[in-house]
Amino acid sequence: MTKSIAGSTSALSRRQMLKGTAAAAGAAIGSGAITGFPTIWAQNIKNVTLRQFGTGVSNLNALAEKVKEDLGFTLQMTSLDSDAVTQRAVTQPKSYDIADIEYWICKKIFPASVLQPMDVTKIKYFDKIVPIFVSGKLTPESTIAQGTAPHSVSFVEGKDSKTFAKQPTQWMTLIPTIYNADTLGIRPDLVGRPITSWKDLIDPAFKGKASILNIPSIGIMDAAMVCEAMGEVKYGDKGNMTKEEIDKTIKVLTDAKKAGQFRAFWKTFDESVNLMASGEVVIQSMWSPAVAAVRAKGIACKYQPLKEGYRAWGGGLGLAKHLSGLELDAAYEYINWYLSGWAGAYLNRQGYYSAVLDTAKQHMSEDEWGFWMEGKPAQKDILSPEGKVMEKAGAVRDGGSFQERMGRVACWNAVMDEDRYMVRKWNEFIAA
Amino acid sequence: MSATALPPTGTTARAARGGVRRRRLRIAPYLQAAPLVLTLLVFLVVPIVTIAVVSFWDYDAVRVIPDFVLTNYEELLGSAVTWKTYLNTLRYAALAWAITLPVGFAVAYFLAFHVRTVTWQMVLFLVCTVPFWTSNIIRMISWIPFLGRNGLLNRALIDLGVVDHPLEFLLFSDFSVVLAFVHLYTLFMVVPIFNAMMRIDRALIEAARDAGANGQQILWNVILPLTKPGIAIGSIFVVTLVMGDFITVRLMSGGQSASVGLMIANEISLLHYPAAAANAVVLLVLVMMMVVAMLRIVDIRKEL
Amino acid sequence: MRTGQRRGASFYILGAFFALFVLFLYGPTVTIAVLSFQGPEGGLTFPMNGVSTHWFANLFEKQAVGDFGGSFRRSLALGFIVMSLTVLISVTAGFAFRRGFIGSTALFYLTVSSLVIPSILVSLGIGLLFTILELEPAWYSSALGAHLTWTLPFGLLIVFAIFNRFDKSFEEAARDLGATPWQTVRHVVLPILLPSIIGVALFGFTLSYDEFARSLMTAGSDNTLPLEIYGMTTNVTTPVLYALGTLTTVFSFLVIGLGLGGVFLLRRLRGQG
Repeated sequence: MTKSIAGSTSALSRRQMLKGTAAAAGAAIGSGAITGFPTIWAQNIKNVTLRQFGTGVSNLNALAEKVKEDLGFTLQMTSLDSDAVTQRAVTQPKSYDIADIEYWICKKIFPASVLQPMDVTKIKYFDKIVPIFVSGKLTPESTIAQGTAPHSVSFVEGKDSKTFAKQPTQWMTLIPTIYNADTLGIRPDLVGRPITSWKDLIDPAFKGKASILNIPSIGIMDAAMVCEAMGEVKYGDKGNMTKEEIDKTIKVLTDAKKAGQFRAFWKTFDESVNLMASGEVVIQSMWSPAVAAVRAKGIACKYQPLKEGYRAWGGGLGLAKHLSGLELDAAYEYINWYLSGWAGAYLNRQGYYSAVLDTAKQHMSEDEWGFWMEGKPAQKDILSPEGKVMEKAGAVRDGGSFQERMGRVACWNAVMDEDRYMVRKWNEFIAA
Repeated sequence: MSATALPPTGTTARAARGGVRRRRLRIAPYLQAAPLVLTLLVFLVVPIVTIAVVSFWDYDAVRVIPDFVLTNYEELLGSAVTWKTYLNTLRYAALAWAITLPVGFAVAYFLAFHVRTVTWQMVLFLVCTVPFWTSNIIRMISWIPFLGRNGLLNRALIDLGVVDHPLEFLLFSDFSVVLAFVHLYTLFMVVPIFNAMMRIDRALIEAARDAGANGQQILWNVILPLTKPGIAIGSIFVVTLVMGDFITVRLMSGGQSASVGLMIANEISLLHYPAAAANAVVLLVLVMMMVVAMLRIVDIRKEL
Repeated sequence: MRTGQRRGASFYILGAFFALFVLFLYGPTVTIAVLSFQGPEGGLTFPMNGVSTHWFANLFEKQAVGDFGGSFRRSLALGFIVMSLTVLISVTAGFAFRRGFIGSTALFYLTVSSLVIPSILVSLGIGLLFTILELEPAWYSSALGAHLTWTLPFGLLIVFAIFNRFDKSFEEAARDLGATPWQTVRHVVLPILLPSIIGVALFGFTLSYDEFARSLMTAGSDNTLPLEIYGMTTNVTTPVLYALGTLTTVFSFLVIGLGLGGVFLLRRLRGQG
């Protein structure tokens, strides 16, 4: 399915071919060569087991299988719902080696001393990581969006520091895995009119058929996009609201809820898919692969770009504090592998964006790259990583190219200074 | 003396008769009870004490800080949302109780008095249990296609001409929450009532009938009083299960209603452990008060 | 067993009511069964998108996320451990209560509280305790304990119910005939208790196998099946979950059928002998 790739990585695939006959040690030496680690480590690295946990979004078994194949060691994946992720990260720091978490969660948990920062000099593709995660700017002239922008929690001041650095340093908290620009998902066959603005979410025309996601830190941002679009609330910074702004935002939501606007609130990926696929809801905040999942069932669903822009999020891998020695080396190897293209291409094909675009591109066909990243019409059917048809030839990605989508981010998922207050207000809204 | 004051059988006379013999084995009951005591101590008493202690601690975004503060209780009890949520949970408990009781009673009555062989009773009980062996999470998801706009029920109703628009209140409403509770917990009502009914001496009913009592009088004056212990135990089950629930309320109300359990679960997920602990302590006190009140009606040790 | 007595109207009314109740209980089961035959493109909700057995086959393949096999084995193992411990602890405790001991009333009410304390509190408490003590929670330690606080009270209540109806004269007769206490237990008490012990075991297993709230904060790094399924719903939106449900139901019926068949057969043999 994947086209063979030219260039530096072809050496790797050749080595994999050889692996069938060569001893496992051969592969280990090979993997050592990728990152330039002394091969003496690589000899016993295959006995290492790394335990990774995160949401089902990126804890894919296919990645673990490929790691075993390419690097020789075992990656054990546990997928949890987003609440449990935060909990485990903080309360059971010994139960994992690698944490797959979102940036706004990182802002909360990194100061809890459960993770150790990574030495960027050991990250081979560090220089190629999308600048959003380093300087915060997609292009040198772009402005930084509101909210907990990933770069603001990407670095700490030193190896043992818990203070986030304002500028890039040698010590990185998370290595980005996936990120995306979120907007509203709609059922074009059922909404009956063009949707252009976030405020359409609480248009009475969709009474009883709208939904919003019930994870306070994310839901409040969607709500803020709505309120701002309505002109009801003017924000200084949506990503760091004042108490007064929070009150106003929650009031708009509560009024809508009391008027029967919402059919349900969703918390997990599958809930959003089920709500949309079953026709319970025709407009709601949604994640890109959820839209794809609805469409894969033959049901019309659109990831509608809106004039106010997108709400973005990002996730990354962090290393547990207790990692050391051989296991730490294995973890660095894994992270270097993650950025080396195969994983990136796999994630791109699901509708997410990956951290190092250059390497991912080498693992995707020109048509795939054109469709997912450049906003071009698909030449042939676009297949999911499992080989199912996701989009028919001729389809164009909702929202267009990477630049168009990530370039129009209005805000990031955020943890505010008034977090505790916001959460309390959010709970009042849910209980109202 | 309290040692033999409450043997489960209540046959104190017999116990006294064997007393001399038993004295030699005095230590045996303690050894026999030890595993239970130990398990409950380590996994119930100590954790609950931990919760109580933590409820006085302070916290920030990620850490709990050992301290002695009352802010957790102040914030909890000072907030209108708390009271509303507690009231809402009590309402769910009352509704679930009011429905599971008559339904459970009728089902238990049928099984105890109309099904005549133990084998058939067993078979019917097992038939009732099978749905519960499928993971609850999966069952919860399946309510959407059952009750939803395009669900089985709505389509059946439309096809039968009962309604012409799909009924919206069937899903993501108080109706669906209570329905799910009834679905989950009625059996917890059936079993103890059934157990109590099976203990009723059939001769008693015959005697009442011979004395000229009609069916209704027998039910009201003989069966009902004698099944009271079963009803009390079933009610304790249903009420406590509903009071502590969080997943049913979240999934069946579409996240639109709050319950105490859900509130605690939310606080836990936000790492606000001391707040969750304070809430847990309040819930625990409330539930315990309710149980004690129900236990006043019946001494369950005697009536099992 | 039939007394030949005529069935009254109340029998038919209550019978119909019972049938409705069973129908209600099976509502989700039927929905699950229908939807598990979705076509390969189908989802977790209606409309049906073709009909196939695709998802039953898919159940045994490697999933995109999650691991049915591993978590199923863990839940099974945990279920059996909980079952054995529940039987062992509740039956021995039953004996203790039968003899009576100082503090028995307190212990009894402690056990009852274990039953009525909301699951999430137990989960939170054990989770906090392990965090504070810097112990690592795992399904075989903290989750096992959490499950026991739920199954033990049930076990003990059932054992109580049995002992209450258990005629002491059997034991006394055995003792008068010169049996040692152990012999009395072994040859008289246990055989009479056996059916209810099976009940306790079944209860223990069922309650543990599907326990969610109590495992939530106590399972450690490896998920039990309910947690795994919950985790999988963050990514999986295919009817493979329903296929699992349908298979569970079919399997349950098979086990019950076989069990009942065995009972009937035994009875017949005994009747002939």
